[in-house]
Amino acid sequence: MSALILTSVLGVVLLYLGLSGNKSILAPTAIVGLVAAGVMSWTGWNPGLMEFPTMLKFDQMSTLFNCAMIAVTVLLFLFGIDYYRRMEENVAEHYALMVFSLTGALILTSYTNLLMLFLGIEILSIPLYILAGGKKRSYRSSEASFKYFLLGSFATAFFLMGIALIYGVTASFDLAVIGQKVQAAPNNVLFLLGAFFVSIALSFKVGAVPFHFWSPDVYEGAPTLVTAFMATVVKTAAFAGFYRFLQMTAMPPALSDTLLVITILTLFLGNVVAMRQSQFKRLMAYSSIAHTGFLLMAVLANSAMSWSTLFYYTFTYALATVGLFIVLTLAKRAANGNEAIVIFRGLFRANPWLALVTMLLLLSLAGIPLTAGFVAKYQVFMLAIGAGFIKTAVFAVFMALVGIYYYVLVIREAFTPAEETPVLVVSPINWLVVSACGVAVVAFALWPVLVG
Amino acid sequence: MEPVVTAIRQVPLEHYVALSFILFSIGLTGALFRRNTIIILMCLELMFNSVNLLLTAFSAHHSDPGGQVFVFFTMLVAAAEVTVGLAILVMMKRNVDSVDINQLNRLKG
Repeated sequence: MSALILTSVLGVVLLYLGLSGNKSILAPTAIVGLVAAGVMSWTGWNPGLMEFPTMLKFDQMSTLFNCAMIAVTVLLFLFGIDYYRRMEENVAEHYALMVFSLTGALILTSYTNLLMLFLGIEILSIPLYILAGGKKRSYRSSEASFKYFLLGSFATAFFLMGIALIYGVTASFDLAVIGQKVQAAPNNVLFLLGAFFVSIALSFKVGAVPFHFWSPDVYEGAPTLVTAFMATVVKTAAFAGFYRFLQMTAMPPALSDTLLVITILTLFLGNVVAMRQSQFKRLMAYSSIAHTGFLLMAVLANSAMSWSTLFYYTFTYALATVGLFIVLTLAKRAANGNEAIVIFRGLFRANPWLALVTMLLLLSLAGIPLTAGFVAKYQVFMLAIGAGFIKTAVFAVFMALVGIYYYVLVIREAFTPAEETPVLVVSPINWLVVSACGVAVVAFALWPVLVG
Repeated sequence: MEPVVTAIRQVPLEHYVALSFILFSIGLTGALFRRNTIIILMCLELMFNSVNLLLTAFSAHHSDPGGQVFVFFTMLVAAAEVTVGLAILVMMKRNVDSVDINQLNRLKG
């Protein structure tokens, strides 16, 4: 709870610091504040502590998710020191909006009331609409922002309709009460329709097929740091929210079947379309859709232990993604703003260590053994098989094999010698963050016990 | 005033639900098929407000104030969302000098 208050106050403080015109104090303040919020979140852990009297619940799941999301945001802000150095105006607003968005994410992991779910999603999304348009004079950035806004509001409308229908059937917004009332009458059509609408809206937020079409465009158009934030923190929070929503009651078969179809479509389309991409950010967007498919399998299994798998998967995925987006930004600068995969060519000769870490991160996303991505995928498959989704699990293994292809394509570029190899300028902090991500994906694979 | 209130109370719940669904569908259709972004924003507002009507009707039906409180939050959030949306729209207008949604086609792949 104190972490939630601290992050919302921190955002306001950052906005006021922006008035001073001194850019260099923003990132350190934000990072110190977030580390304090992380420590508060960690020490404030108390199984079943309810707040507002019963609208938020800070249990083991929300504590771990919150700490992970705060840690990823700190990594992004460390990268931000270098990233925002070239930007002249509105730097404070960027930091503040990301902190506000993080506040929404913290609510999403711990809600027990549909009102809090709604507020959490909106606090998470509204700053993102602005952030996606962060480069005001770039056409692509404003198009991404507008698309994201329109489709996001559209999803919100469905989401509200779903909540209203659920409320109409159960006369309550509290998940526990709803769960009890639905147990008594599991096949109420209005309730099913409501749960279906809410699931559609949440599928929009996590980027599941057929509600994914915004994500490649928005990922490509938004500033790289914001893209990294969307691919990591936002996705983690949306999945935590999705999981909590579906946990409220035993999933009705109609809903479970719909989600199964969405999962299979997501796995197929994400992996297959990613093979045809030549722009790195679009590749990462489709790869993120593919990972959504694997994560949906864990949500679908809907057991009490799904959350630890979700946590491990999203955290290791986020670490790898943050590292890769930093490498992309560095390579992009050397290539004059080009974002194609070919800009990685010759990376090994120019910066051997950076190329090796990039390889590790990509292998982790692909799910090769000895990286955290493998352990995460393995856990998801075991969970799905345990819940009886054997055919889906086999299909997902096959899709994971397809996925290796496009990650290896990028690795091949990095290790192909180029005619001229521009040496990338890597600031010490960026080097440290990328290396930390690389070391972490191996460390988490060797000691899964470390993260739960 | 009293006869009006009693008359309103006699409207069955189904009528409110039907009206909400009709308004929601009109908003949905408009948001999907209109090309002018300002009209699309209005259609989104219509969808939000149809939900508000539904929530209020259910709230009165269940004699539970929760639904009406929720409506206040919905209105607040919708206002914040539209504020951001209009700002983004102005930014778009400055960049392409048009509010036609067909202009949004340069990001492709």
